[in-house]
Amino acid sequence: MKLTFLICLGILFGSHAVAQKQALGKVKKEELMEKVHPKDSSAAAAIIFKKAKTTYTYYEQSGFVSSTDFEIKIKIYKKEGFSWANFEIPYYVGYQTLNDEYVDIISAYTYNLEGDNITKDKVVSQSKFKQTVNEYWAKQTIAFPNVKVGSIIELKYKLKSENISVLPDFQYQYDIPVNFAEYTTEIPEFYLYKGMLRGYVKPEITYDVEPTSQSFSSKLDKAYANKILTYNQIVTNYKAKDIPALKEEEYVNHMQNYYAKIVHELELIRYPEEEPKPISTTWEKVVESIYKEERFGKELKETNYHFDDLRLLIKKDFTTKDKITAVFNFVKSRMNWDEKYGYYTHKGVIKAYQDKVGNVAEINFILLSMLKLAGVEAYPVLISTRENGLAFFPNKSIFNYVIVAAVDGQENILLDATDKSADLNILPIRDLNTSGRMIQDNGASSEIDLMPKSNSKEVLNMMAQIDTQGKVSGKIRHQYFDYNAYLYRANYNGMAKQSLMERLEKKYNGIEIQEYDVQNNYDFTKPIIENYAFEATNSVEIIGNKMYVSPLLFFALEQNPFKSEVREYPVDFGFPNQDKFNVSLTIPEGYTIETIPQPKAIAMPDGLANFKYNISNTENVIQLTYAVDINKAIINADYYDALKNFFKELVNKQTEKIVLKKG
Amino acid sequence: MKSVFLSLFFLSLVTHAQKLEYATLTIPDSLKQNANVVVRLNEVLVNIPSQKEMVVKTKTVTTVLNELGLSYLDLSENHDKNRKITKIEAVVYDAFGKELKSFKRKDFRDVSVADGVSIFNDNRALYLDYTPTVYPFTMVFETEVSTSNTAFLQPWSPMEGYLVSVQKSNMTITYKPELKLKVKEINFSGQATIEKTETASSISYAAKNVVARKREELSPGFAKVFPIVYFALENFSLENVEGTATNWAEFGKWYYQSLLADTEEIPVETQAKIKQLVGDEKNPITIAKLIYKYVQEKTRYVSVQVGIGGWKPMLAKEVDKLGYGDCKALTNYTRALLKTVGVDSYYTVVYAGRDDTKDLQEDFASVQGNHVILTLPTDKGFVWLECTSQVQPFGFQGDFTDDRNVLLIKPDGGSIVKTKTFTEIDNKRILKGNYSISAEGHLKGQVTIVSNGLQYDAHFNKIRMSKEDQIKVYKEEFSNINNLSIKKINLSDNSQAVEFGEELALEAEGYAQNTGGKLMFALNAFDQSNYVPKKHKSREFPFQVLRGYTEESEVEIVLPEGYIVEAKPDGIQLDTEFGSYKIEFKVLTSNKILCARKLVIKKGQYDKTKYESYRKFRETLAKNDNSKIIITKA
Repeated sequence: MKLTFLICLGILFGSHAVAQKQALGKVKKEELMEKVHPKDSSAAAAIIFKKAKTTYTYYEQSGFVSSTDFEIKIKIYKKEGFSWANFEIPYYVGYQTLNDEYVDIISAYTYNLEGDNITKDKVVSQSKFKQTVNEYWAKQTIAFPNVKVGSIIELKYKLKSENISVLPDFQYQYDIPVNFAEYTTEIPEFYLYKGMLRGYVKPEITYDVEPTSQSFSSKLDKAYANKILTYNQIVTNYKAKDIPALKEEEYVNHMQNYYAKIVHELELIRYPEEEPKPISTTWEKVVESIYKEERFGKELKETNYHFDDLRLLIKKDFTTKDKITAVFNFVKSRMNWDEKYGYYTHKGVIKAYQDKVGNVAEINFILLSMLKLAGVEAYPVLISTRENGLAFFPNKSIFNYVIVAAVDGQENILLDATDKSADLNILPIRDLNTSGRMIQDNGASSEIDLMPKSNSKEVLNMMAQIDTQGKVSGKIRHQYFDYNAYLYRANYNGMAKQSLMERLEKKYNGIEIQEYDVQNNYDFTKPIIENYAFEATNSVEIIGNKMYVSPLLFFALEQNPFKSEVREYPVDFGFPNQDKFNVSLTIPEGYTIETIPQPKAIAMPDGLANFKYNISNTENVIQLTYAVDINKAIINADYYDALKNFFKELVNKQTEKIVLKKG
Repeated sequence: MKSVFLSLFFLSLVTHAQKLEYATLTIPDSLKQNANVVVRLNEVLVNIPSQKEMVVKTKTVTTVLNELGLSYLDLSENHDKNRKITKIEAVVYDAFGKELKSFKRKDFRDVSVADGVSIFNDNRALYLDYTPTVYPFTMVFETEVSTSNTAFLQPWSPMEGYLVSVQKSNMTITYKPELKLKVKEINFSGQATIEKTETASSISYAAKNVVARKREELSPGFAKVFPIVYFALENFSLENVEGTATNWAEFGKWYYQSLLADTEEIPVETQAKIKQLVGDEKNPITIAKLIYKYVQEKTRYVSVQVGIGGWKPMLAKEVDKLGYGDCKALTNYTRALLKTVGVDSYYTVVYAGRDDTKDLQEDFASVQGNHVILTLPTDKGFVWLECTSQVQPFGFQGDFTDDRNVLLIKPDGGSIVKTKTFTEIDNKRILKGNYSISAEGHLKGQVTIVSNGLQYDAHFNKIRMSKEDQIKVYKEEFSNINNLSIKKINLSDNSQAVEFGEELALEAEGYAQNTGGKLMFALNAFDQSNYVPKKHKSREFPFQVLRGYTEESEVEIVLPEGYIVEAKPDGIQLDTEFGSYKIEFKVLTSNKILCARKLVIKKGQYDKTKYESYRKFRETLAKNDNSKIIITKA
């Protein structure tokens, strides 16, 4: 494609309007009379159409600026849909060098049917509200007037941004149905964007290249003259229709990850007579552009500020693993995370080190820099946290976090020092999002698996006896390993013993706890161990002259957590895990065992999960070993039925009773 | 040389100032028990030189003992058009009282105070986003605020909340005597020794060494158990409108004149529409029903809080034009519409909330409350209208504003009255049904449920839910039944009678568990209560059951062909001061059993010594609700 960059004086082109089927201002009586959504009778509201078009305007001073025109038409079916009538448009005001984004409400109306007439109420300025949310974001809210059941609201607005490195997200799936969605971008040939699709609804896409031109005012000496810029533009059109509502279910990561939307990121600038300038076409380019940024590359290279502390930390005979452990523990305990995300530093590593407070990049860069200075091979790993979605394509904006990989022989040890409960290869749960991008010193990068390699265990040993009144008393030793230990430490470290006991008493109704103690809260080389004695008054049922009791007592899972009939998106357990019980239960004097449950083993297809239930008895003691393995953190919706069934079997087995008979 | 060294040393002492009084070691052990936070000092100095001028100086010294106490630390100060922050700073010290860092005004961020409801409000706050580097630490936070609003004086309490000890707390108000300060002390009974000093133009309260308390289940709200002193001026200013409040009658008059009187105008066209709507109807209740329905259909709730708009309702003609408003606007609009057809009603101020029934202080006229409803006087007593709801039945206020003292604002004055108390007889839920068990243990059955009173309130929203959500709700409601599938849902909302009907067909695979060839299941499948309050080994506070209710059910159970009963639960009857419970399992024929249950829980306030017997009552009934039958092949 030959680039043309012609400036002509004084020639003007008229634009021609393209006839469109879906347009604002054409509200029909039938639409207003419609009582329920034809495809989803439960919908409280529906988006009849949402359209957007991104175009570029040339200014001699600032170059191309993008603006996106949105048109939205919404039907309200129920009172529960009224929240759509308070329409919010967030916009970014946190640029350092660029002007704030700007929202211009072009028109907004409410349509109603009164008797036989269609009424149209305009949104007056009194009903438009601009509000600063924080230093980065502001929002414009529009309260549509006279919205009732049956109303249709229409909104047309423009979002202007000087930041052309990304385009506004075009979301076309919500928790209400969307009948039609269309997004068009008219991008000057000088810019090449990567358009990325998120979610599970794919649009129809067409491309076209067409010549275009626009006039702009140019300063000539002291006068202004109109000039014309002629170039080609790439027109991309995305269309989708009948997009179903997506509703929230149990065990999900973050709903925003599942809604369908189109995201754009600039990957190449190719001005005429200039070398094309890649922004982020490949992972190499993405990494290069991140690396080039001072708040990343330069900050990584700072070393002197921690030298004195490091010297005291590293002993002569240290192995690589020793060094990693020592440095990680030092940084973890010295630094305090301010809960800010990002892969760029904010105040800089040196200041952060002095303050002992920093953002993600500062804390993990300090860790990285100290490791390297100690002679450990270590690299930054860019990741996207769980609530931020997955990085499918090479692009810069998907990452929002950075951790560290340290190399010990053949093994990469993943480290994140922002969390006091984290450890070597034990990352905060927010980090566990499939894979990250490890950046080598030469700018090369490779994918690195973030998910735990083995199941985190939880082992519970219980010795208990039942008395003749059906009261159970016994002792428990409960061990939490790896991610289970992480969760325990993150949630309960620092809590008073009394509160920890009360937590258990609340969780397991009808038990009383004594002699409680917990070990290894801060010793990360060992599992968390809880020891306690208990008395349970609610675990045995006495009916007639028999006793009925599950060998798992109050630990038995009584309800299947998966209640929905169908599942649209994956089930997310966070990390693979194993739950293991070793129970020894002594039956009361004067009773004999009438029946005990059969041993059983069940496995899900493709080895996703399994349980093994082994039970045996001597005269008056019942022995149970029971283990459940969930071998994958994320289980695809295709397996939902199998998973639900697995849990049904699991609940059945866990609640199955031993029958004891008097005499 | 020596002197240089000395002076240097002295200098370093000055720059690294150590405040021994802030050291953690000096905190008495008694204050550390049960505490995540120790407030070392909470000092509030209020000066009111005139009706339109108030300066509040606050100094808090807070030791945060551990991570769990961090959320208590509030380093923010509100501001708006009429409230300026003239000073705000903080200094943090370590456990030894050594200064770690100090923060000036520029370190505080200016943010909008989002209340989660309003689409817009103009309240802002300066706040410090502090990340601790070490525990324990002590934060000294000082602010000074000047405002022209003198309608609200912050109350004082020696307690700062649960799990917080207070070493020293005091508050002094200095005021121009003509403004007349009113004071109300509540719950002054022994939890802390409180010192009070008073002059003609000042008052102060102080307390020392108040130990941390733990939260206990079913405790009444903070304001019902902890000592609190409320303050208010008889002559005050609210957003630059001067007011008086000697008593509720006068306060009501002021409120009406300054905030309501000039908001009532209704456009002529709407007046005509309303008159046509009402027609010849004379009965005020019937008229009010028509107008309430008109407002419910025309408007929706949208909250916009700006300046005096936070207190004064939006003009009725604006609501008429825009079709939305907040509680003040919608209530006032309904009132104005009623007035155009000659029906009187009163704008009514209330503390709304489901979890507590907070009263307006009866003998303490001042700006109170957080919500507004409409009161319609009738010859059968008051009718209460919730004007922000588009679905609530006429005259049914539900548990958001029930059973509490509210303020009626009439043109000729205000008065305090109590809203409707829903009794255990009003809040009734009656369930009738049947089910059969197959030889495989599967359940198949039907139920019909009729709910009244607050039980209606709790369930009537189901009718507007999507089918999937309804199924989700029922799976929660009958969570004791595994593998439940809802085969039929038929709901009916009789808003005239305030009665909600539910008809369900249910199935559950494996409801009866196969235990060694026998089937075992809880006979009471549809009406189980598993709520058991937490055990408190020792209890400090009284407890309350906020609202009473009645549950009644009769369910017929058909056993599978060829099975006989091996063992059957006996049933039980309990009569206590908290209520009564009775469950019976009657054998009707060889394969039919009737499960009849009645639970009555009474509203009440009880002494702490009775907590364990209430807990036992709930535990026993929960156990009996789940008691099982064993059936076996004949």
